[in-house]
Amino acid sequence: MSLENKLLIDVGSTYFKISTETSIEQHFRDFNKDILDDLMHHCAETIGKYDKQNVHICSSANGGLNTLIIGITNSYSLKYATNIAFNSGINIIDTILYQDIEDYSVPSELVDVVIIVGGIDSCAGIFNDSLYSYLAKLDYSNIVFVGSSQDAPMIEQNIENVDILPNIIDNKLHIVEESLKEYLTNLYQQDIEGKEDIKSLYAITDNQIYPTPYIVNSALPLIDARYSIVNPFILLDIGGATTDIHYSKDLVEENIVTENEYDRLVFKKLGVYKSKQSLIFAAKNNEFVYELLMHLKVTENIFNEQGAKATKILMQLAIFLVLCKLSHYRKAYVNLKFQTINSFVLTGGITKVLSTEEIEDIVAFFYKKILTSEHRPKVVLDANYDIWTLGVKGDESCL
Amino acid sequence: MKVVTGVVGNDIHVVANRLIDLSLRARGFEVFNLGVNTYLEEFFDAAVETGAEVLLISSLNGEAEGWGREVKALKAKYKHLDNLIMMIGGNLVVGSGNAEDIVPRYKNYGFDLVCHQVDLNTGLDTLEAFIQERNKQ
Ligand code: B12
Repeated sequence: MSLENKLLIDVGSTYFKISTETSIEQHFRDFNKDILDDLMHHCAETIGKYDKQNVHICSSANGGLNTLIIGITNSYSLKYATNIAFNSGINIIDTILYQDIEDYSVPSELVDVVIIVGGIDSCAGIFNDSLYSYLAKLDYSNIVFVGSSQDAPMIEQNIENVDILPNIIDNKLHIVEESLKEYLTNLYQQDIEGKEDIKSLYAITDNQIYPTPYIVNSALPLIDARYSIVNPFILLDIGGATTDIHYSKDLVEENIVTENEYDRLVFKKLGVYKSKQSLIFAAKNNEFVYELLMHLKVTENIFNEQGAKATKILMQLAIFLVLCKLSHYRKAYVNLKFQTINSFVLTGGITKVLSTEEIEDIVAFFYKKILTSEHRPKVVLDANYDIWTLGVKGDESCL
Repeated sequence: MKVVTGVVGNDIHVVANRLIDLSLRARGFEVFNLGVNTYLEEFFDAAVETGAEVLLISSLNGEAEGWGREVKALKAKYKHLDNLIMMIGGNLVVGSGNAEDIVPRYKNYGFDLVCHQVDLNTGLDTLEAFIQERNKQ
């Protein structure tokens, strides 16, 4: 398969990269722009040189709903709604404590779903004009009310197109999950079926837009030609919004997919930009994380910090949490035979942030603490996105 | 009238908490019992979510003093709790202590009613008298 005259574009949640036969470039996404505009802004000249038939695009950008929760306390309404949202697969959650709503800035980005919550059913008159004037400034696609049933009629009168669901807090101050969970899960499904943004990319290509993980998966059988890795291996793609794991079937006892040599698993809640909050949430719930932070010579305060150092630590935590989830320690969807893994391959944004040694350090910590093992697989970084290029090359049906 | 109650901090003495729940109900209050091991923020948050008029905290194991000192600062962060009636009772210090010292100290922490080693019924009579008095104003 020749890549001559082909332009390959990958749209991620955090940045996009474009590759010609001679070069590869990468740009941070500007979320105020439509993906196509953003892409044209940076690369119009390059894109213009290619025929629509020769442009191939893959994307992992349409994974997940951007959610804003407005609630009246941290211990009940905000906590309960956040919990339900995470359990419904949502990655990006912002919260507003209603009493201080006037102090919050209005996000410039479109919010996929706004959740309004607060009060048990016998409590009334919780929300007023400050809510409506905040919402008037906010750009959102869906809005749902799950607070006190007494307030529902007033909310319905004041907020256009609001969906009203049963209160998620019962009269004993306990959580009631079902209806909100079902609502969010349905929205999430619709979202995946086609974001307008992604559809507009068909203006520059005649080819089908593939999900990035599909492309990465196609690269796996070719990987050992490019790298000195020893089979069996697992591949971790830690990005801004999600973490993808691809692993060879030899590493699991039971297989779900039978046609492919490799299986895939996604942790939607583990990323360092868009799903940063859920990553921190997961970290705080892992009893070994404090020890790991100590090992990395930082404190919990790093969760509140921004910048290169904090990103580095979050990336390291993401690796650790993913490995935990795949081990017997946190029985998930599959358990990998960690003693058999010979190589860890890392691709995605993480390769721009961490060195091989820094990743080896985390892998060693995991093997020692969780598995009490001296086994140390080899760590390989795909720093130049070779895997992705390989994947496009490898999949005949793509080109 | 709605009352939020519970035992503050890491305190697990549950017997009085059960009695408080029963006695309040018997007197016609609507009770939201957060049980033992309840943190201050949860008490205030429960008052917000339920629209309670009274917060009745109990403390038995001697932790009250530490929590008491934090009440004012934490409550100041809430914009709609100014009218909440704040009551505390149980063993408010380590050892027996002297009510004459203890009561003014806790009032200073932000409590309206302070019942150090006071029997429950006497305490609840005081609460009802306080509510009546306030309603007159
Ligand atoms: C049973 C008991 C325990 C049991 C608790 C079982 C349970 N889950 O409830 C166990 C063994 C677990 C226990 C543990 C401890 N306990 Co203990 N415990 C007692 C004991 C013997 C009885 C408490 C009881 O249930 N009484 C019956 C109820 C009905 O009475 P009451 O609690 O006094 O409440 C009455 C009033 O105070 C009032 N009241 C209570 N709250 C309020 C609030 C308001 C607003 C009002 C108006 C009134 C009010 O109403 C009740 C009825 O009148 C008391 C000693 C005693 N005799 O009081 C010690 C006692 C409370 N425990 C004590 C201590 C120190 C402990 C431990 C720290 C011991 C230790 N070193 O491990 C731990 C703490 C554990 C923890 N995390 O909280 C001390 C507290 C000392 C202090 N404040 O200075 C006491 C007083 C013993 C003592 N004299 O030293 N304890």
